[in-house]
Amino acid sequence: MGKTKRILRYAVSKAAVIAAIVIIIAIIAGVAYYLTTMHKGPTKIIWASTQLCPPEEQQFVKGTLLAQFTKETGIKVEFVAMSYSDLATRLSSEEKAGKVTIDVIGDLHGGLDLYASKGYLMDLSQFGTLSGRTFPKVLMNYAHMHGILAYIPWMTATYVMVINKKAFDYLPPGLTKEDVIKGTDKWTYDALLAWAKNLYEKTGKKLLGFPAGPHGLFVRFLHGYLYPAFTGAQVKNFNSPDAVKMWQYLKKLWQYVNPASTTWDAMADPLLKGEVWIAWDHTARIKDAIVNKPDQFVVVPVPIGPKGRGFILVVAGLAIPKGAPNPKAAWKLIDYLTKPSTQIEVLKKTGFFPTVQEASQAIPSGPLKVLAVGVNAQISAPHALVAMIPSLGAKGGDFKSIYLTAFKRIVLQNEDIQKVLSDLGPKLLNLFKEVGAPLPPPDSG
Amino acid sequence: MGFTSKNKPEAFSLTQPSKIEKFIPYFLIAPALSYLLFFIGYPLAQAVVLAFTDSSGHFTLAHIKYLLYSPESMFYTAFKDTLALAAVIIPIQVMLALGFSLLLSTNFKGREFALYAFVLPLTISDVAGGLIWYTMLSTNGFFNKMLMAAGIIASPIQFFGYQYRYMEFLAIVIAEVWRATAIVFVIIFAGLQMISKDYIEAAEVFGAGTWEKLRHIIFPMLKPSLQAALIIRTLFAFQVFGVVWVLAGRDIPVLAGEAYYEQTELYHYGVAALYALIIAALSVAVGYIYIKMFRAQYLEVGR
Repeated sequence: MGKTKRILRYAVSKAAVIAAIVIIIAIIAGVAYYLTTMHKGPTKIIWASTQLCPPEEQQFVKGTLLAQFTKETGIKVEFVAMSYSDLATRLSSEEKAGKVTIDVIGDLHGGLDLYASKGYLMDLSQFGTLSGRTFPKVLMNYAHMHGILAYIPWMTATYVMVINKKAFDYLPPGLTKEDVIKGTDKWTYDALLAWAKNLYEKTGKKLLGFPAGPHGLFVRFLHGYLYPAFTGAQVKNFNSPDAVKMWQYLKKLWQYVNPASTTWDAMADPLLKGEVWIAWDHTARIKDAIVNKPDQFVVVPVPIGPKGRGFILVVAGLAIPKGAPNPKAAWKLIDYLTKPSTQIEVLKKTGFFPTVQEASQAIPSGPLKVLAVGVNAQISAPHALVAMIPSLGAKGGDFKSIYLTAFKRIVLQNEDIQKVLSDLGPKLLNLFKEVGAPLPPPDSG
Repeated sequence: MGFTSKNKPEAFSLTQPSKIEKFIPYFLIAPALSYLLFFIGYPLAQAVVLAFTDSSGHFTLAHIKYLLYSPESMFYTAFKDTLALAAVIIPIQVMLALGFSLLLSTNFKGREFALYAFVLPLTISDVAGGLIWYTMLSTNGFFNKMLMAAGIIASPIQFFGYQYRYMEFLAIVIAEVWRATAIVFVIIFAGLQMISKDYIEAAEVFGAGTWEKLRHIIFPMLKPSLQAALIIRTLFAFQVFGVVWVLAGRDIPVLAGEAYYEQTELYHYGVAALYALIIAALSVAVGYIYIKMFRAQYLEVGR
C-alpha cells in the first residue's frame, strides 16, 4: 500500500513538473509568436508624424482622415506618432543604414530643415504640382531649401493674444480697441504693461496671464516673441544690451501677471474662469475658450517691440525621405492631406490652420472664424518678424531649458540679469554647434 | 529527503522522485519569476543602462554630473521638497488615522456614515484629487468665495504661483491629507478590530485608565498594522507626483515630477532613469529601516 502511494506521489510530481515545463514553453512560444507577427501584416505605407500626436487627434487621424483616404485610394496607411527626438533618431539611423521604412514624414519646418540639410529628403518638385490649391508664397519660400523643394506645407499654427472684451473698459490712455485688434504701431509692449497695470490698479486683480506651467508653452513667448521684438533675433542676441532691456521689461511686466501663471499649462481654462482677461497661448490651447464663449473673447495680434512684431509661425510640412519604399503612394497621401476640404476638416478638429488659400477662404463663420481673423491680423500686421522654432532633435529640450532657467533666475528669483545671461549664453550657441543645425529665422535671414 | 531515506531504507524508487521533487518548487514559481524578471528586472536593468550610457551607447557619468552640478537641474530642491512633504504629511495622516480609528471603534449614531465618508476620497485618483483642490482654492474658487461672502477676508487668498510657494505647499498638504489618509486609516482600523476585547477588559479590571490602556495595550498591539501603514504611506510619499504636479507645477519640484519632466520635456532619458533609480533606492532603504526598527520592538513586547 505504501508502495502504491509512493508511485502515485511520483506520478503526481512528475505530472506537475511536466505541466510546469509545458506552461513555460507555452509562455515563451506565445511571446515569440507575438513578437514575430508584430512585424508582419499587409504592406502599407508608414506615415511618421510629430504632429497630431495627442490621443484624441490620433483617433481623428486614424478613424476619420486616413479611413477616408484608404476608401478613396485603397492604400493603407500606418500612422506612427513620434516625439521630435525619436523621429530624428529613427530617420537618421534608417538613412545611414540605407534601409528606410518611413514613406511620409509630418514634422515642423525646423525638423525638416535639419533633415534636408543632411540630405535625407527627396526633392518633391519631381512629382509635379498639386492642382486645385494655392500655397501662399511665404510658405513656399520656406519649403524651398538646400536646393530642393523639401516639403509641402501642411498645416500652420501660431501663438496669439486673447482678450476678454471686459478688459477694453480699462485701456490705458492713448490706446484704443482698434489699435489692439488691428495691431497698429500704438499696440506696443509698453502699452501692454500700462494696460496690465491699469487693470491691476482699477480691479485689484492681476488679469494678465501666461502658460508658464511645466507643460505650458511660455518658453515660446520668450524665444519667439520677446527676443525677436526686443533684440531682432531669437538666439544670436541672447546675451546683449538689448536682451538686458528685454528682461528688465519682463520683470516690470511680471508685477502685473497673475502669479498662478507658473501652474498653468494652457490658457483656455483661466480665461473661461475669468482668472485672467488678457492671455497669450498657442491657438490650439485657447480654442476651447473661444468655442465655448465666442462672444466674450477676441483674438488679437501680439504687441510690437523696438525691433518689430516678433511672432512664431509654426509651419508643419509633409516630406518624403530618400529611399522611401513607396514614394508614389506617399505623394498620393500628401495630395489628399493638402486638399482644401481635408484641411478644413483638420482645422475643425485640431485648431491647426490650413496652408491652402482656398481652404482659408472657406472657413465657416463662428468660433473658428474668430480665431482665424486674429491669426490673419497677426500675420498681416505691419513690421512682422517671423520666427521659426529651431530643430535641435534631442537637444530641443536643452534649448527650452536655457530660456526657462534664465526666466526663473532673473524674474522669479531676482538674480542679476547680466550674470545669468553670461552664464547661459555660451551654452545656447554651443547647442547649435553640437547638432550642426542652422540658426532659425529671423536670425538667419 | 533526509526524512524519507532514514525511515525507508529501500531507496530504489525514492531517490529519483525526491530529486525531482526538490526542483518542483522552482518549476512552480518559474512563471511568477519569469514575470518578475521580464516586467521588473528587465526595466530595472534598462534604467541602469540608460543612466550610465550616452546616446551612442558608451559609458558616461555625464548624467550624474548634470543631476548634481548643472544649474538647470533641480535635484537638490526636489530631494529636499519630497522629504519635507513626507515629513509634514505622514505624521498628520498617522495621527488623524489613529484618532479616527479609535473614535470609530466606539459605537455611536452615524458611525457607518462617518466610516464611509472618510474612506470615500480613496476612490478618487490623485490627479482628480489635485484638480478638485485646485478649483476649490483658486482665487475665484469656492474657498475664497465663501470666506469673502462671510466677510472674513476682503481680497482672495492667493494659493498658487511661484511667489506663493508656501501656500502651494500648504495646498499640497491639505490635498494629500484629504486624499490619502484613508489608506492609513483602513490599515490601522483593521488592526484595531483584531485586538481582543479580553485584554482591554483585563486592564480595566486592574484599574487602568484610558491613557494606560492606550499606552500599554492598544499601541503595542497595533504596531504591526502601524508598520504596514507607515511603509505603504512612506513609499507613496516618495512617489508623490499627480497632486503636486497639478497644484504647484514645478514651483515645488519633487523627485517623481522631475523624472517625468526630464523625460518628456527635456528628453534627458538618462537623467530621468537616474531619478527613477534614486526613488527606488530610497524606497528600499526606508522599507528596510521600518522593518528593522519595528521588528526589534515587537520582539521585546513578545518577551
